[in-house]
Amino acid sequence: MSFDANTIRDEFPILSMEANEHPLVYLDNAATTQKPQVVLDALITYYTTSNANVHRGAHYLSDRATAQFEHARDRVAQFLNAPENSYVIWTKGTTEAINQVAHGLEWCITPDDEILITSLEHHANLVPWQQLAFRTGARLRVLPLTSKGEWEPEYAHYFNEHTRIFACTQISNAIGVKTPLKDMLAAAKAVGAFTLVDGAQAVAHYEVDVTELDCDFYAFSGHKMYGPTGIGALYGKAHALDVLTPLQTGGEMVSHVTYNSTEFNTLPYRLEAGTPNIEGVIGLSAACDFLASQDREDMLIWEQKLARYVYDELKFNNDIEIYSPAIDTTVVSLSVPGIHTLDLNGYLDSQGIAVRAGSHCAHPLMAQLGVSSTLRASFACYNTLSEARRFCDVLLEAIEILGDD
Amino acid sequence: MTELNRDAIQAQLKACTSKEATFKELVSLSKQLERLTDAEKIEENKVKGCESAVWLIERQENGICTFQADSDAKLMRGVLMVILSLTNGHSKAELQAMDLAAELNEFNLSSYLTSSRTNGILRILQQIQT
Repeated sequence: MSFDANTIRDEFPILSMEANEHPLVYLDNAATTQKPQVVLDALITYYTTSNANVHRGAHYLSDRATAQFEHARDRVAQFLNAPENSYVIWTKGTTEAINQVAHGLEWCITPDDEILITSLEHHANLVPWQQLAFRTGARLRVLPLTSKGEWEPEYAHYFNEHTRIFACTQISNAIGVKTPLKDMLAAAKAVGAFTLVDGAQAVAHYEVDVTELDCDFYAFSGHKMYGPTGIGALYGKAHALDVLTPLQTGGEMVSHVTYNSTEFNTLPYRLEAGTPNIEGVIGLSAACDFLASQDREDMLIWEQKLARYVYDELKFNNDIEIYSPAIDTTVVSLSVPGIHTLDLNGYLDSQGIAVRAGSHCAHPLMAQLGVSSTLRASFACYNTLSEARRFCDVLLEAIEILGDD
Repeated sequence: MTELNRDAIQAQLKACTSKEATFKELVSLSKQLERLTDAEKIEENKVKGCESAVWLIERQENGICTFQADSDAKLMRGVLMVILSLTNGHSKAELQAMDLAAELNEFNLSSYLTSSRTNGILRILQQIQT
C-alpha cells in the first residue's frame, strides 16, 4: 500500500470545483476537511435503505439502523484503540464532549481544587473549564507551554495535590505544534487528576491510541477527519464516565421514569439523551474506514512534507513571521507585520485559495505570540505540492499588492 | 477630504469583472482614504462587531454630516471610501431615509458584503444613521 495525493484527490468530488474563477485550493483543513465519496455514499445509503430511529426496535428498519449505529460505536472504539472497560459516547463534536466532562464533574469540584490547562488551548478546551472554575470557586491554572510546545521541568509544580482535572490539546489548532502529552499526562496521573485530551486536530493526521495515552477522556470531532459535521465523540474509561452527571436529560438515557424519580440508563446511553445524530454516526464510521484503508504513516509524511515545503519557501522572507514549527506539523501559521491577515486572506480567496485568517479561537495564545491574528494554511492528505507552491506564490503577490502605501 | 465622487467610484467597481479586480480596486481606493490620527483611533470611536478594527467619527456643520473613518485592514479602508462617498454631505434626516445597504449593493461588492464582513459593515451603516 502506498500513498498518492493525486489518486486520493479523485475521491473528493468538491476538490474539482472552481472558486472565484480559479481552481479551488483548499488549505483550511484544520477548520474542517472535505469529505470523500465513501462518506457521502454512506449518508445516502443510510437514508435510502435504513432510516429509522435507533434503540426503539420493533421493526425491520429500526433493527437495521440500530445495528449500523452500534457497529459505528465499535468502529470508533477500534479507531481509537480503546481498551476494555471503556465507552464511546456520541456528541456533536469536541466542544460538546468537553462541555459534558466539565459539567459532569462539577459535583466533585471544590474551591480548594485546581483545574489545569495549557497555554495552547482552543477556546473549546478553555472556556468550559474557566466557567466550571467560576461556578465552583476552583482555580483555573494555565501551564505555560512555549509556542514550540516545550515543556519545562520547573513547571512540575503546576501538577500538585490540588489538581483535580488536567485538560490538554494534543496539537495546537492555531499553530500546529504538538504538546508534550506523554510527560504531562504522566504528571497529571501521578497526582490523581482526571485527564482529558482534546484530539480535534490530531485525529485526521495521527493514529490515535487511547490505550497508550491512558487518559480518562479523549474528545474529537468527525468533521475534522473527513467525516460529517455535527458528530463527534467522547471516549472515556468506564470509571471516569460513570461519575459524570449527564449534560442533557430526556429520552433514551433513562431506564425507568415516574413523576417523582428517574432511574438512568447504563453507559453509554446514560450520556446520550434524545434521538442521536444517526446519519452522522454512520458517516463518521465510514470516515474511520476511509482512514483505515490508507497508509496512515505515508499520509502523515506527505502532509508534513507540504507544510515543510511552505515553511522552507517562506522562512527567509523578511516580511513574514512564521509561528509554526519547522518539522512535525501539518500547519503553517504566519503573519506579515504591517498587513492585516484579513487582507491577505481576501487576496488568496480572490485567487481560489481557502485558508483561515483570525485568532483561531485562541485569544490567549495570540496574546502570547504578540499578534491579534495569523494566517493559517493547514494541509490534508489530498493537497498537492503544486497547491503548496501556489499558496506561496499568491501570498507573495498579496504582500506586493498590499505592502506599498 | 478628497472629493468623494460616488459615481466615479461606482463606475470603477462596476467595471470589475472578477473578485481579483474588485480586490485591487478596493486596495487602490484605500489609498485615497484620509487616515485618522492615533488620537482619534480610540475605543469610543470604534465600531463594535467588525472583524477588523474600524473607527468612525462624525462631524456636523449646518446640519450636514461629514464622516471620517479608518481601519487597520486595507480592504476595509477601500470599503469605507465607498461608504463615505454615499454618506458624506447629507443631513441626518436624509441619511435615515436612505436604504444604505441597498445603495451599497449597487457598487458590485456583493462578494465582499456577503462574507463575514457583512455584519460589521451593517453596524457601520447603522451607526451612520443614528
